[in-house]
Amino acid sequence: MFKLVWQNLIAHPIRSVLTAASVCIAILLLCLLRSIVTTLDAGIQASSAARLIVMSSVSLFVDMPISYQQRIATVEGVTTIGKWQWFGGVYQDPSNFFAQFAVDPEHMFDMYPECELDQASRERFLATRNGCIIGKQLADKFKWKAGDKIPLTGALFPHPDGGAWDFEVCGVYTSKAANFDDRTMMFQWKYFEETLRAGGQDPGVGVYIFRTAPGANVERIMSEVVAMFANGPMSVRCAPESEFQRMFISMMGDIPMLLGWIGTAVFVALLLGCVNTMLMAGREQIHDVGIFKALGFSNAAAFRILIAQSMILCTLGGIAGIGLTLALKPMIATAIAAMFPVFLVETSTLVLAVVLTIFLGVAAGMIPAWRASRLKPVDALRAGA
Amino acid sequence: MTSMIRVRNVTKSYSRGGETLKVLNGLNLDMDEGRFYALMGPSGSGKTTLLNLVGGLDHPDSGELYVAGANLADIDGAELARWRADNVGFVFQGFNLIPVLTARENVELPLTLTGLSRAERRKHSEYALELVGLKDRMDHRPRQLSGGQEQRVAIARAIASDPKVLLADEPTGDLDRKSAEQVLDLLARLNQEFKKTILMVTHDPHAAARAQSIVNLEKGELGRIDHNVPPVAAPVR
Repeated sequence: MFKLVWQNLIAHPIRSVLTAASVCIAILLLCLLRSIVTTLDAGIQASSAARLIVMSSVSLFVDMPISYQQRIATVEGVTTIGKWQWFGGVYQDPSNFFAQFAVDPEHMFDMYPECELDQASRERFLATRNGCIIGKQLADKFKWKAGDKIPLTGALFPHPDGGAWDFEVCGVYTSKAANFDDRTMMFQWKYFEETLRAGGQDPGVGVYIFRTAPGANVERIMSEVVAMFANGPMSVRCAPESEFQRMFISMMGDIPMLLGWIGTAVFVALLLGCVNTMLMAGREQIHDVGIFKALGFSNAAAFRILIAQSMILCTLGGIAGIGLTLALKPMIATAIAAMFPVFLVETSTLVLAVVLTIFLGVAAGMIPAWRASRLKPVDALRAGA
Repeated sequence: MTSMIRVRNVTKSYSRGGETLKVLNGLNLDMDEGRFYALMGPSGSGKTTLLNLVGGLDHPDSGELYVAGANLADIDGAELARWRADNVGFVFQGFNLIPVLTARENVELPLTLTGLSRAERRKHSEYALELVGLKDRMDHRPRQLSGGQEQRVAIARAIASDPKVLLADEPTGDLDRKSAEQVLDLLARLNQEFKKTILMVTHDPHAAARAQSIVNLEKGELGRIDHNVPPVAAPVR
């Protein structure tokens, strides 16, 4: 029986290949769209509940005064606080984009235990005025190692001399969690601040990140921080890290919802296409169905023959789509590296792809198979004659 | 001699364009086991309808229809399908082979319902093809065969599961004279050597002359029956 089903499929090779290819592309697209959503979500899930972010209430792109650091540190329950500033430097060419932040190195590793760096490198980072640490993927990409010099042209913060900012690699860190990017460079706040001040500029702070004591009332702390600066000079917003991640993502729009709608639209369009193909196949095989029934095959057997064709086509397409997703994963991860530190194709996404493939196979084959099973043999023989 | 086919007060109508067309009108007929019958009559007289009813492809509106001991008016669905697989073999005017399967695979198709092993199915199908003189063409697809050869494959498929009754609907209608003779010889041989009960619908008096009885239908009712037409069997070439 399998041979019969298979022969019917290869009797129309172009149609079968095109149908399987459309399923393949749709499953690939669904896997990719869902992986982007899960990648975004992974960053949020991995965020620490004990870490809070303070930013300007106007926008993430508006700086806060440096003086805020000491005042926030006085709020009861705040244990460690550090400054972060987006640097936006260019290495040789804008296409070599990677994120750089000026940070307080002394708080960096307490704040982010997920950032792993050996003790010697930490000490070198603290001791080197223009020192920086870089993530492993970044180091691999540019073949950088400890001791290398990285010249960056300051796009947002031009060097007062008019030349490049020179940084020295003190160590290469690895990341233990999805929320901590290992394609980033972090460098000494002191170097950043002193250089700008030497040029007559007054640097601001992009975000303050602080940790709270275990058992601290986070709601109270956030309220106090916001109230502290309510009357200026710059009012702030304070949120847990996960909320901040969500906010950051929502700056690009409601990505999960948008991707969800695109995915649903793709799936529905594909379903209609597959149903149409299977209806055509079913119509062509009505006469054969009549022959099967005349030979003694039951209605259920006629149903199975038609639905098996749909299942095989969709399964082959689905497997190819899943395979292609896994094969393209490294390339996609590289392509979106500027936006997302990792690209996660979760097992749940692959399971969902399998479930959707099976659903597609059953749903597309259901109508022709049901029709075939309901036909009286004499009508089926007459219809195809 | 016992009745293989017993038709009692069978009626059958079809609706076409809102109009009811009565095709069989209280038909009564008995056909003996092991005989070769030709069913003749003008177009619309109900020949093919009767053949379909006898083969369990359709249901009578009323009446009783016993074939190989079963009242087909009482069985339906999977049970009727099983009965067809066990008791009847069909030979159609248009051959009705599955185009994507080889001759052997076509013949093997009804055997997949028998519970025979793959090796046994293969043996049976090869024997059936040998019987119709086409063992050397068993790996050919239908489109690689001539019309006469296709019909002989269809006959091999019809007899592969050793049914009691063979139903042939204009089996020579699409064939040239020589091929038609071969097919008729084959049917006559299956009747004589293997004692198959054969009911053959035909318009062709020459084909009908090969049967032992000629049943005439007229407007859905039984007309004249001519018995004892001497069967003519010739070896398969």
